[in-house]
Amino acid sequence: MNSIRQDWFSNVRNDLLAGLVVALALIPEAIAFSIIAGVDPKVGLYASFCIAAVIAFAGGRPGMISAATGAMALVMVMLVKDHGLQYLLAATVLTGILQIIAGWLKLGTLMRFVSRSVITGFVNALAILIFLAQLPELTNVTWHVYAMTAAGLAIIYLFPYITKAVPSPLVAIVALTAVAIGLGLDIRTVGDMGRLPDSLPIFLLPDVPLNFETLQIIFPVSATLAVVGLLESMMTASIVDDLTDTSSNKNRECVGQGVANIASGFLGGMAGCAMIGQSVINVKSGGRGRLSTLVAGVFLLIMVVFIGDLVALIPMAALVAVMIMVSIGTFNWESIRNMREHPRSSSVVMLATVVVTVATHDLAKGVLTGVLLSGFFFAHKVSQVFLVRSKSEGEGRVRTYTITGQVFFASADRFINSFDFREVIEMVRIDVSRAHFWDITAISALDKVVIKFRREGTEVEVIGLNEASKMLVDKLSVHDKDGAEEILTSH
Amino acid sequence: MKIENKILACVDQSHFADYVTDYAAWAARRMNAPLELLHVIDRHPEISTGKDHSGAIGFDAQEHLLTELSNEDATRSKAAREQGRLFLNRLRERAIAAGVESPDVRQRYGNLVETMTEQENGVRLFVLGRRGQSAQHTQRDLGRNVERVVRSLHKPILTITEDFTEPRRIMIAFDGGIVTRRGIEMVAASPLFKGLPVQLLMSGKESQEAAKQLEWAKKTLNSSGFDIKAALIPGDAESIIAKTVSEQNIDILIMGAYSHSRLRSLLLGSKTSDMLRSAKIPTLLLR
Repeated sequence: MNSIRQDWFSNVRNDLLAGLVVALALIPEAIAFSIIAGVDPKVGLYASFCIAAVIAFAGGRPGMISAATGAMALVMVMLVKDHGLQYLLAATVLTGILQIIAGWLKLGTLMRFVSRSVITGFVNALAILIFLAQLPELTNVTWHVYAMTAAGLAIIYLFPYITKAVPSPLVAIVALTAVAIGLGLDIRTVGDMGRLPDSLPIFLLPDVPLNFETLQIIFPVSATLAVVGLLESMMTASIVDDLTDTSSNKNRECVGQGVANIASGFLGGMAGCAMIGQSVINVKSGGRGRLSTLVAGVFLLIMVVFIGDLVALIPMAALVAVMIMVSIGTFNWESIRNMREHPRSSSVVMLATVVVTVATHDLAKGVLTGVLLSGFFFAHKVSQVFLVRSKSEGEGRVRTYTITGQVFFASADRFINSFDFREVIEMVRIDVSRAHFWDITAISALDKVVIKFRREGTEVEVIGLNEASKMLVDKLSVHDKDGAEEILTSH
Repeated sequence: MKIENKILACVDQSHFADYVTDYAAWAARRMNAPLELLHVIDRHPEISTGKDHSGAIGFDAQEHLLTELSNEDATRSKAAREQGRLFLNRLRERAIAAGVESPDVRQRYGNLVETMTEQENGVRLFVLGRRGQSAQHTQRDLGRNVERVVRSLHKPILTITEDFTEPRRIMIAFDGGIVTRRGIEMVAASPLFKGLPVQLLMSGKESQEAAKQLEWAKKTLNSSGFDIKAALIPGDAESIIAKTVSEQNIDILIMGAYSHSRLRSLLLGSKTSDMLRSAKIPTLLLR
């Protein structure tokens, strides 16, 4: 009871206002992302309404805005081109199902393997892709379009100095539309890009054959959509967490995204996820509760359905200006300044994520690259935490090797190379009490060392295997079992 | 945390805090227990102060917003902390004047209920105003936090109304249930009411069982040296208790609290809440 009141009604006035601001900014974005995906603007607008309205109830992060997004639109381009809208709707529903499963399996916790640098790379790549998606509107056009876009940007960034009570992107859109109509300019408008909604969305099943072939077509796209959607949603959730100094329920958010996408698919909308830029706008405008998200969705639908004829007149140049603003606001400019100070490996991870994403237009591939690279770098760094000292004792009859640090696949070779097998000596003592043996590679390296010494006729004693290492050694090693030499020589 | 069996007085910046302090000081003296004055500073991250509806995001929008919001929070927290410190110090002086040696004061961020449950282990007795800061401006006769707090705790809670008078006569509303039976044992063992005359009151239908229970309670208290007057009066508990309180000039009422589920009290209303509204004297709630 209390948390319902707190989530919904503790901040009513500001939530309403922020929801309005967000709805106004969502309209151009939803249209622009539909165009990126290659579908009618109404698909993106229905999706934005539906996802925002459902996530307001089902989501785990109050105050976060979810709708049709660029990240998701980019993934579905090929599917739409090759198979058409109906397959996209089916893929959207499947995406939702996969996301719900991910939520139930608590896969949200896997986000901890995505490092800060990968997240920064993701955000930057997203901003770049949103910007690149505007270029078709800016090539092979008259100078009017450039002038309009520049004027739009000027209004968006300068109007807040006059008043912050009115959303400046709205002012820019209204002003540019008025100018375009007043001067009778022959430039592209939203109406040229496809159909706008003229009614409320209705429930319909995607018109696809329900067979294995369909699944084969949509599953890869849905899986990517699910991953990209959850990644951006989890990231946005933690951004909102930071901004508002509150916590969120990540697994509930996963399930909520899934429910929202299923609903969107059945109402003729495309898949979506949380939006970084819009969520920042919402928090900035004072939105904190679930009400802000709901208002954004509902208000968007009302405006589009009832003033759809006016929306069709908006020149594309005005939308481009808004999208450039979103891309500028999403990009993490600090990361460029930080490249000089941060360790080179983290900059490499960030840049690799950006480059792979921009090259493939697939945020999932970019993130995978980033995660793998940061894994490599981490393994490399940890393998440096490794030191071998040796000392001869007992009047030159015994030599003690003291191993400190982490022994695993990345440091196993260095481990083996740090022993002197050609030394003529009676006994070797290997003190591993301050070392960790992590995996099979490490264990077989220790085996190899022991057996090599034995072949020289040297006694070997391994002391101080700590408990964690010992379990692994006991389970896997051969050096203390019969016939150890044969196993090694048979290689 | 160290178990120190302290008396925890929950205060806010209303004039009720003075009486809460007075009663807590009285209890601390009688029980010879350490006293701590706790002030919980509510934070409301779910409420925003946003005035920027421009909807434009520029370079490093997220970083700028984060800096701005955390600066706002910092300013607010600092002001609240300073204000809280001043009034807590005043209350500490008051407790010292009332004869308590070195009372402790503490401010915490968070939610009142959570904070009190966290602290519960080291506490012997909670002292709480039945109304607080927000009730100063409203006509509400029972503070919005009281039921939630009482329900979530498992230690005795002394709830305070206006004004402090040193307690001379106490009354136990006895219903023979587990909670009040344990309460009788607790009163018998505690130094808090030692030497004060006790009125033992049982209401409801007269029965063999009730009489036996009452006899047991009387004996238990008697053996600890209490001066007991017991009465079994048939009728509606609330009105009988209210009547006896005024007739006998009772200063503190002891009773069990919220033994029914939240759902039931939502539907039927809670006897405890009704009692707390109608009784004008401090009430010790047993859980």
